[in-house]
Amino acid sequence: MPRWPGLVGTVLSVLGLGVAGYLTYEHFTSSSTLACSDNGVVNCLKVTTSSYSEVAGVPVAVLGLVFFAVMLVLQLPPMWRRPEPAVRWGRLAWAVVGLGTVLYLLFAELFEIDAICLWCTAVHVLTLVLFGTTVFATSSYPAPVAVDA
Amino acid sequence: MSNNRPRSSGQTQKSNASAQQPNAAATKKSASSQRFAERQAAKQQAAREERRGRTRTYGIVTIALVVLVVAVLVIVKVAGGGGSSGVVDVPSPPAGTPIPAVTLAKLQSVPVSTLTAAPTGGILTTPQSVNNPALTADGKPELLYIGAEYCPHCAAERWPLYIALSKFGTFKPQPGRIHSANEDGDVPTLTFYGTTYTSPYFTFTPVEVYTNRPAGNGYAILQAPTQAQLTLWENTNGGEFPFVDFGGKQVLPSAQYSFADLQNLPFSAVAAQVGNNSTSIGADIDASAAQLITTICGSLSKHQPAAVCSAVHSG
Repeated sequence: MPRWPGLVGTVLSVLGLGVAGYLTYEHFTSSSTLACSDNGVVNCLKVTTSSYSEVAGVPVAVLGLVFFAVMLVLQLPPMWRRPEPAVRWGRLAWAVVGLGTVLYLLFAELFEIDAICLWCTAVHVLTLVLFGTTVFATSSYPAPVAVDA
Repeated sequence: MSNNRPRSSGQTQKSNASAQQPNAAATKKSASSQRFAERQAAKQQAAREERRGRTRTYGIVTIALVVLVVAVLVIVKVAGGGGSSGVVDVPSPPAGTPIPAVTLAKLQSVPVSTLTAAPTGGILTTPQSVNNPALTADGKPELLYIGAEYCPHCAAERWPLYIALSKFGTFKPQPGRIHSANEDGDVPTLTFYGTTYTSPYFTFTPVEVYTNRPAGNGYAILQAPTQAQLTLWENTNGGEFPFVDFGGKQVLPSAQYSFADLQNLPFSAVAAQVGNNSTSIGADIDASAAQLITTICGSLSKHQPAAVCSAVHSG
């Protein structure tokens, strides 16, 4: 197993954690200081205050924070070296969860809210790239072999 | 002895040879099985490589599919499909999109005490007394509203108007959700088009003259005012939107507060601030609703219901 999946995954997860953390902070502070354009197609406020900004009462920004926190653990280089199938498949499944959420939110932004939030787009891109690297690395490299003590 | 040695030696060689024969066979067999094992291992390795290659192909195809789906979503949006109010001016249905019952319930149940407590700093226009002939309909005093769905001032005014009207009667069906035209602020609001309002105190007559759908140099006509309404409207405020007449006793010649803060916001974001006097949007809507309730109590409902009108007066 090469080292790049763990390194790339860790860096992407940390970046995602940072952006999701910022969006969470803005969610709980009235979004008035959100550094983003607010006219035309790009309108962060319209997106982050829409009905799609919460799922069952839980802010989507918080869900993003949880997603990247778990993903960070799963993407750490030592986790990529673990031979257990549960880790390998769990990481892949978590990436698929992220992908599904991103596609849903992207659809909502484009066709329901009629506005794009740049910060949300950054999270979406990070999630999509994480999905891509996770799928590529999982499908390209065999699971590490367990070494008996 | 000397004879024995060669013989013995020959015997040894013979016996060695005979002993080596099975060893050679074993070695040959071992080499053969090793070659077999190597061939098997090579086959297995090749099968593994093939399987890995196949899995990698699946992975790449999956990634390509995801990229394709995202690209299609973006292309459909850019091409103008699926309804966009951000780029292309797409109107709401004239009767609007249904509003969740929980949101309507929230708008209807803001306590009068909260409305009267709202800061009035954002209020620009208040109802003014007039000496017009009494305005009635169906044997009751009439509250006439003339607006247009494209109009952002009307969009702002409908929020307090709906809150105030909910204290005196009920809508059936409930108003739908619309927005003023994109070129006119894209202000989220409700529409009174297609609704019927019932109150024991007065009759509410809403007239939404235009939709928010562009047509020619203006907007498509939705409801034409009667000649009497037109005359009253033009004589009172020159035919500007919005216009509200409280039984001929008072009129509101324009929106009570500025729509500026509401532009481009989703409906839910505005609804969430109603009843919250700590935000400018919430304060403006609440204070406007309190003024409307006061006016209705004095001009239309004879200070009924007492619970509402006494609360607004004491506030």
